[in-house]
Amino acid sequence: MIEVKNLVRTFKSGDRTIKPVNDVSFELEQGTLASIVGKSGSGKSTLLSLLGALDKPTSGDVVVNGVSLASMPDGKLTNYRRRDIGFVFQQFNLIPNLSAVDNVMLPMEFSGMRKAARAERARQLLEQVQLDPDKHVRRINRLSGGEQQRVAIARALANEPKLILADEPTGNLDEQTGEHIIELLSTLSRDHNTTILVVTHDRALANKTDRRFRLQQGRLTEEPVRTRATAALTG
Amino acid sequence: MSVLARSVGNAFRNKVRTAAVVAVLAVAIGLALAMLVANQAVTGKVAELNASVGTVLTVNPAGGQGFEGGGEPLTSAQATTAAAVPNVSSVVGTKALRLRNAAEIAAEAASGRTGQGGPGGQSATSVTTSLTAAVDAGTLGNRNQASTGTTGSTASGTGTTAAAPAFSLPITATGIGAEVDSTGKALQLTQGTGLGNYTAASTGALLGTTLAEKNGLKVGSTFTIQEKTFTVQGLFDAGTAFGNNALYVTLPTAQTLAALPDELSTMIVTVNSMENVDAAKTALQAALGSGKADVTQGQRNLETAVSSLDSVKNISFIAFVAALGTAGLIILLIMVMLVRERRREIGVLKAIGAPNRTIGLQFVLEALVLVALGSVVGAAVASLASGGIASALISSSSSTTAATGQRGGPGGFPGGQGGPLGGASQLLTSVTASASPGVIAAGIAAVFGVAIIGALVPALLTARIRPIEVLRGE
Ligand SMILES: Nc1ncnc2c1ncn2[C@@H]1O[C@H](COP(=O)(O)OP(=O)(O)OP(=O)(O)O)[C@@H](O)[C@H]1O
Ligand SMILES: [Mg+2]
Repeated sequence: MIEVKNLVRTFKSGDRTIKPVNDVSFELEQGTLASIVGKSGSGKSTLLSLLGALDKPTSGDVVVNGVSLASMPDGKLTNYRRRDIGFVFQQFNLIPNLSAVDNVMLPMEFSGMRKAARAERARQLLEQVQLDPDKHVRRINRLSGGEQQRVAIARALANEPKLILADEPTGNLDEQTGEHIIELLSTLSRDHNTTILVVTHDRALANKTDRRFRLQQGRLTEEPVRTRATAALTG
Repeated sequence: MSVLARSVGNAFRNKVRTAAVVAVLAVAIGLALAMLVANQAVTGKVAELNASVGTVLTVNPAGGQGFEGGGEPLTSAQATTAAAVPNVSSVVGTKALRLRNAAEIAAEAASGRTGQGGPGGQSATSVTTSLTAAVDAGTLGNRNQASTGTTGSTASGTGTTAAAPAFSLPITATGIGAEVDSTGKALQLTQGTGLGNYTAASTGALLGTTLAEKNGLKVGSTFTIQEKTFTVQGLFDAGTAFGNNALYVTLPTAQTLAALPDELSTMIVTVNSMENVDAAKTALQAALGSGKADVTQGQRNLETAVSSLDSVKNISFIAFVAALGTAGLIILLIMVMLVRERRREIGVLKAIGAPNRTIGLQFVLEALVLVALGSVVGAAVASLASGGIASALISSSSSTTAATGQRGGPGGFPGGQGGPLGGASQLLTSVTASASPGVIAAGIAAVFGVAIIGALVPALLTARIRPIEVLRGE
């Protein structure tokens, strides 16, 4: 369960202040697959970084399972990012001189998992995102954009987070691979009760989510979607 | 992949830069180690000099020294008196004899030159031996012998001196009451054992290396003094040609050979510390009576050597600390640069939940990898350079010492041991030889300590990096 309360984030650029997140409030039940759509520059990435405790709001709060992020000290926020959040960055943000496997293993290393166990899990995750086995040990800066995107998704899943925040996870993928990633995410939310919030321009993805939000000039509104339940009924 | 593996990997990310950093570090670390080695060697030497020479007083009979001068001989009773003086930690009596080769005496007697062995009052009897001196008389020997030998060779007259055939030098045999040389320094045995109890009669003898070599003697060989057979029990190296043309027997043996059982040529009085030397000297002089004994601080000129070595010690220590600090500073600057360069990556690690200490540790380890490489190269540099640096430091500062010490040098006959000059050259050899692995290890430990401090500052800087600042991109 994640509650977002009157979240505001302002930036100063010169003498102007911009408000990419302007009084945003919503709640997500555990296990929900939700999407945020909106124009470029509407504040989607800014909102996601507030939810992922990468940035601090100007005002307002995010409450995760009853715990307020605003009141957490930095050390606790680090633990929250490591244990509870899987973040897929719009720019991937992988470590360029490490291999794909090593990148996926990093969050597991930080949470103290044994080396053999994390190597095994990293390999499985890379298979799940359909990265060719011969590319598992290849350095990140020798992978294509789409391959890097899938490594980034695998890394986000590494510590089995309760909340996955994905910023355009299918933006660099072909239609077929994108379908597969969408399938992977909806399986996670359905079978593992993982809450997933994706920012997307991908209509196919947005239509497969339980809920859909639109961000316009910092304001969040919810749009009706065909739920998975109704989709299943109508085929 | 672990923190350590990542650190090692990062250390080699930019190979050209790594090589440059390692080279600069190696110079600083090498210099630090070389200075430490020099410092340790000199410190050891200073301690040794302070302990052995700086605190030694020599007591001679009033008006006499060695085989020259006159006055009344010292006695065993005076040794007891000396031992009772405050701050005196030990008194060692010596009895010096001059040995002449029996065959040569016979030859000289035949040619009319007699009694060469006994100028001065103390050792009138010529003691014969089967040994041949290891030092050729040369110009100095002939001149010394001519001037001091006139009393003994009146029979031949001055006119014959110039025409006299070259003779060999006498050999100094000293009876010693402990395993020290005639200046009170511990004997440097190169082979064999000591004589055991130096206050009992014994047929053992310790020979200088060149004397033994000249006579073809080894440990266990025998030779004669006054037709008595002695066994070589050990060889010593005094560091000088003069000092090595000598032999030592136990004190009672020498007294028996001289047929003067209660007499001492000198007493070597050791004072418990350098500060008490002057007071003890005055007290000793008073106790023995100024008419009976001359108390001298045998090697006072070495104090200059000690003080100049002390300055070398200080200079090398300051240089060690400075080089160490430089190594630390290099690490600090390099790591600050690396942290700035990898801000984005550090932000990513934080964004995926890396604790600050993990990131800090990663950077400290990376610094240590660089320092380890620098130390390996630096230690190699140091082991090549430290000998040269140490001797350069010492020879520049001891040239003044050698100049002031000259007066005890070749001019003086048996009394002067050529001490400071011989001492300085001994210093050089022992200082250059002492680049011990222990000292190098201690130096490298210090380098690592400084490197950790140097790397800690940039590592702590990483804690202040906020993930969002960097994820936005530069
Ligand atoms: N650190 C910052 N300083 C100033 N302005 C910022 C900062 N971060 C974001 N902005 C501005 O806030 C607005 C929202 O940015 P954001 O990245 O959230 O957009 P977005 O919806 O993710 O766009 P896109 O779909 O192109 O990724 C933009 O106008 C951007 O210029
Ligand atoms: Mg964005």
